[in-house]
Amino acid sequence: MKDTAGEFLVVEDLHAGYGDATVLHGVNLTVARGEVCAILGPNGAGKTTLLRALSGMVKGRGAIRLDGADLLGRSPDAVARLGVAHVPEGRGTFMPLTVEENLRLGAFTRRDRAAIEEDLERVYGYFPVLKQRLKQPAGSLSGGEQQMVALGRALMLRPRVLLLDEPSLGLAPLVTRELFGIVQAINEQERTTVVVVEQNAHLALGIAQCAHVLETGRIVLSGTADEIQADEQVAQSYLGYRV
Amino acid sequence: MADFIQQIVVGLGSGAIYASLALALVLIYRFTGIVNFAQGELAMFSAYIAWTFLDAGVPFWIALPITLAISFVGGMLIERIVIRPVEGAPELTIVIVTVGLFIFVNAAAGWIWSFLIKDFPNPFPDGALRAGGVSVGYSTLGVLAVVGVVMGLLYLLFRHTKIGLGMRAVATNPESARLVGIRVGWVLALGWGLAATVGAVSGIMVAPLLFLEPNMMGGVLIYAFAAATLGGMDSPVGAVVGGLIVGVAETLAGAYVDVIGSDLKVGVPLAIILVVLLLRPQGLFGKAAVERA
Repeated sequence: MKDTAGEFLVVEDLHAGYGDATVLHGVNLTVARGEVCAILGPNGAGKTTLLRALSGMVKGRGAIRLDGADLLGRSPDAVARLGVAHVPEGRGTFMPLTVEENLRLGAFTRRDRAAIEEDLERVYGYFPVLKQRLKQPAGSLSGGEQQMVALGRALMLRPRVLLLDEPSLGLAPLVTRELFGIVQAINEQERTTVVVVEQNAHLALGIAQCAHVLETGRIVLSGTADEIQADEQVAQSYLGYRV
Repeated sequence: MADFIQQIVVGLGSGAIYASLALALVLIYRFTGIVNFAQGELAMFSAYIAWTFLDAGVPFWIALPITLAISFVGGMLIERIVIRPVEGAPELTIVIVTVGLFIFVNAAAGWIWSFLIKDFPNPFPDGALRAGGVSVGYSTLGVLAVVGVVMGLLYLLFRHTKIGLGMRAVATNPESARLVGIRVGWVLALGWGLAATVGAVSGIMVAPLLFLEPNMMGGVLIYAFAAATLGGMDSPVGAVVGGLIVGVAETLAGAYVDVIGSDLKVGVPLAIILVVLLLRPQGLFGKAAVERA
């Protein structure tokens, strides 16, 4: 595990689920400030539920702390105001609203007008294609472009933590690689902490410094991205080859 | 020909009234996906509040903003107290709650102000503009102008303010709106408050034309439903255009189709609702969901 001074996002003994169906059975993990951390695991392991608990979309027991502040028990809008930007599965696009409106909504909680305009330009810098589509309804964009809108919207919050749920879902491999490249660039340039849930372990480990493997609601393995990549068991289960 | 144009003018006048209530219906539908059957009764209640001020000698143009403010707060409170507990319940449950609200508000108005009709002063001057054999009453012009102003204000609110953008975001994707930090519950309450305010304008315009009594808005509500269905339940522009079309259609049918006359006029909106639902369920301006996954 990392040194405790680097504990930025801390999850302790987290139990969470939907109604009577508990999905997470005591999850413990930490993410250091400025790191990209991959959450790996098979379908149904609880990866999405973990992210949803982090952003307050599902209730849970235990503890979630961001830089010392308690997140658990807060509503999603309150968690967002604390600087957690969640790009949900399905991208959360505001379909009939224009691309620009989608992006501006990301800054909804901010008051610093001038900085918001600068951040818009920064988002266009990461995603030049969006600049040509500003006045188009976001629902008319391709899946990859909508994922860019979702990432851009999350950036507009100036997040301290970026939660990405399966950014590769439904996208062509080339588009996915491009997106992960941009996520890496964002992490490096903005020093934004990123937690990324991903089926495609290769891609995720390629940009991550740390990784946690989730199985049936428990963390079964944690380590640096390199350690996880080198782990034979993980390799067999999620990477599709033997080391 | 002059007579025909005259009928159209009359139709536009009543159409503007339907449009104002239809706007209120559409506002709530857009935010919550529910049809508020109590909208007309809330408008009636607001008209009574205005009447109470007028009766106490408060000038109309002072009573109006006070009434609108009370209606706004009242609409928000109703959302918090009555609708909030059933949020997330099946649509039918919520619709039934609004029907209950209809009955409650209607009875409350009767209890407070009695069921006897009251005279409500017309804020617009008597008389009419005359041109080429057609006369347009000042009150018709006034009602049209008011609806235009309400429409314009709503447009500015939704298109050019941050809170308006937030409201549209909630109407589109509440879950995602939460994730960008919008307090969705408050936006829903705000939607109810706005709708109640727009409805209050409608009630205050209806009251001088009919008489003020607790069942005043019953008929108007049916026309407003027809207008909203025709224009598209989720489109404010559609509500206004739909209202005007319904008003004109009703007047023309009453004047020129002998079988209909003035007795069967109320059948016109029902026929419009039926035909629209059969041919173009999303209405003239409504959006059928067309988007890429």
